[in-house]
Amino acid sequence: MSAFVSTLLRYRVAVILCLTLAAATLIVPGFASLTTLSLGLDRGSTIGLIAIGLTVLLIAGQIDLSVGSVFAVSGIVGIMLQPALGMGWAALAGVLAGTAARVVNGFLVVALRINSLVATLATMLVFRSVAHWMTASQPIPGNDIMFSITLSEIYLEVFTVCSGLFLVSILALHVWLTRTVAGRNLFAVGSNALSAEASGISAGRIMFLSFVFASTLAGVAGVLQSLATNTGSPVYGSELTVAVIAAVVVGGTRLEGGRGSALGTLGGVLTIAALTTAMEFQSVPAYMQQVASGLILILLVVLDRTVRTGRRKPAAAPVHA
Amino acid sequence: MTDIAAMGQTTKDTARFSQGSRMVGLVSRAGLTLAILAVILYGSLANPVFFTAGNFVNVLMSMSIVGIVVVGMTFVLVVGGMADLSVPATIACGAILSLALQPYIGPVPAFAVAVLLAGLTGLVNGVLVGYVGINPIIATLGMGTIVLGIVQAAVGGVIVYGTDPSSADFVKSRILGVPMIAVIFIAIAILGNFVLSRTFWGRWTIATGGNYSAAQASAVPVRAVRAGAFVITAFAAGFSGGLLGLTLQSARPLVGQGYEFSAITAVVVGGVSIMGGFGSIPRAMAGLVFVQLLTNVMVLQGVRTPIQGFVLGLLIAGAVALDIALRKRGVA
Repeated sequence: MSAFVSTLLRYRVAVILCLTLAAATLIVPGFASLTTLSLGLDRGSTIGLIAIGLTVLLIAGQIDLSVGSVFAVSGIVGIMLQPALGMGWAALAGVLAGTAARVVNGFLVVALRINSLVATLATMLVFRSVAHWMTASQPIPGNDIMFSITLSEIYLEVFTVCSGLFLVSILALHVWLTRTVAGRNLFAVGSNALSAEASGISAGRIMFLSFVFASTLAGVAGVLQSLATNTGSPVYGSELTVAVIAAVVVGGTRLEGGRGSALGTLGGVLTIAALTTAMEFQSVPAYMQQVASGLILILLVVLDRTVRTGRRKPAAAPVHA
Repeated sequence: MTDIAAMGQTTKDTARFSQGSRMVGLVSRAGLTLAILAVILYGSLANPVFFTAGNFVNVLMSMSIVGIVVVGMTFVLVVGGMADLSVPATIACGAILSLALQPYIGPVPAFAVAVLLAGLTGLVNGVLVGYVGINPIIATLGMGTIVLGIVQAAVGGVIVYGTDPSSADFVKSRILGVPMIAVIFIAIAILGNFVLSRTFWGRWTIATGGNYSAAQASAVPVRAVRAGAFVITAFAAGFSGGLLGLTLQSARPLVGQGYEFSAITAVVVGGVSIMGGFGSIPRAMAGLVFVQLLTNVMVLQGVRTPIQGFVLGLLIAGAVALDIALRKRGVA
């Protein structure tokens, strides 16, 4: 019995995903189709790309609340520079803007030793302000409306550019986390930064690089979203933070660091995507979708917490220094 | 031999450090007062409107709404709960429900129900953080999303308007020239200060934040104390939201947006440690006064809103970095 339960818990992502899909298929007529799959993957890829970066950060024991703001800033930069630089270079600049943003975060957390939650809370506010400041709080249109059509073109009946990129990245992440030394070091730092440091792993460097990695991916997601909608808007991504954290946590990545997997995140992203797509099909209002992703987040974190405390001695309150 | 040498080294270090820290301690104590005076001085010189009774009443009004939240948030930070990000949701809950329920049950019961429901959110937050042991920021972020969604669903996602002008008149009335809202805020601040610095609950709060295990070993009900801080914040935010709704006589779902940051900024700038175990209501209030006056000067000088947000974000990061630097030198 307990073996069954623990197996169930280990593969709970798959269980949750299957349950979600089954429920959606039953409730929403015509849900089980290739079009839905393609649509779900496409919208999942936006939170998915950010979730990849966040998975790495969470494994390293850090968190980033500013992903939504970085997402907006990169998108705006990507659109704004189009007349000056042309589309390709502008997109690159947008991604680089994301990287730069997280160099700030990494600096605050690693060099100044500010708790990552607080640091990114502050930078979330700062980057959001930057986004409003750059655009004067107005959405700005892009140059080339045709390119957004190219982006949403469907290949092989399922994949778009975004979802293809997302799937390739997550497979690359899986290989990186499970097959390379750098990936193993990441887990070591996340489980116990001090012991990792004592074993000759530079914890600070790894944390810093995870911040840069996460930001770059948030930047990529922001630029892709802006190109796909042909607009840069300062309010983009404000509702993303909870959804992305929910997706990663559904995937079994632990908030305290040291545990997580790329495939888990893939499952989590697909679950959230399936859920939101299904709710949109049923024209559930946006705020109810927010309730759903919030509920999933809380439930999963509680489950994670109680299962672990059930096995071992109750852990003391989380102390982050 | 080496041990003794090391011990001698340590004593010397301690002596040198405590001397250095007296200077740093003085700066950390007087710094905020100086900063407030500097802002007042700059404001008075730069803008003729700044140093007038009318402007100060305005500052006091806007300070009061945030200030009530700040009182609660101080408890959360002192207990080591880092931050309560569900504040925008609880404010919206207070504001929307206290207006939306007016036609059905009258203004006073509506207000009470709104504040109670907001407090209920805090109870859930508290159970999640204190008893289940979830990271406070994640718990409150998730709860905030849920509560905001539910409140929006309850009123159909629209703006609600007040139906009882007399309740607005009460909130806008003045006692000896001081706005009613400010009187309520000051009363709550004094009450909060009393609880934090004079009662067993306050001592427990500080002990839990300072050293969780030690407090637990000393038979402090640490879980309840941690949970309590979030309940207090939610009640405060709900109350403040209700007052905000009555003042504006309209409430939209995003009415509370940004208040969590204003409150956290005020508390952190006031020198309350984000790592818990240290802080007081007067310090948080000093931080609040500084931030509000700074914002006021920026508004009067025509600084654009995004840049104001930028400055506030920098203030949080700077204050926290300073706190960590001071802790390293043994001053808290």
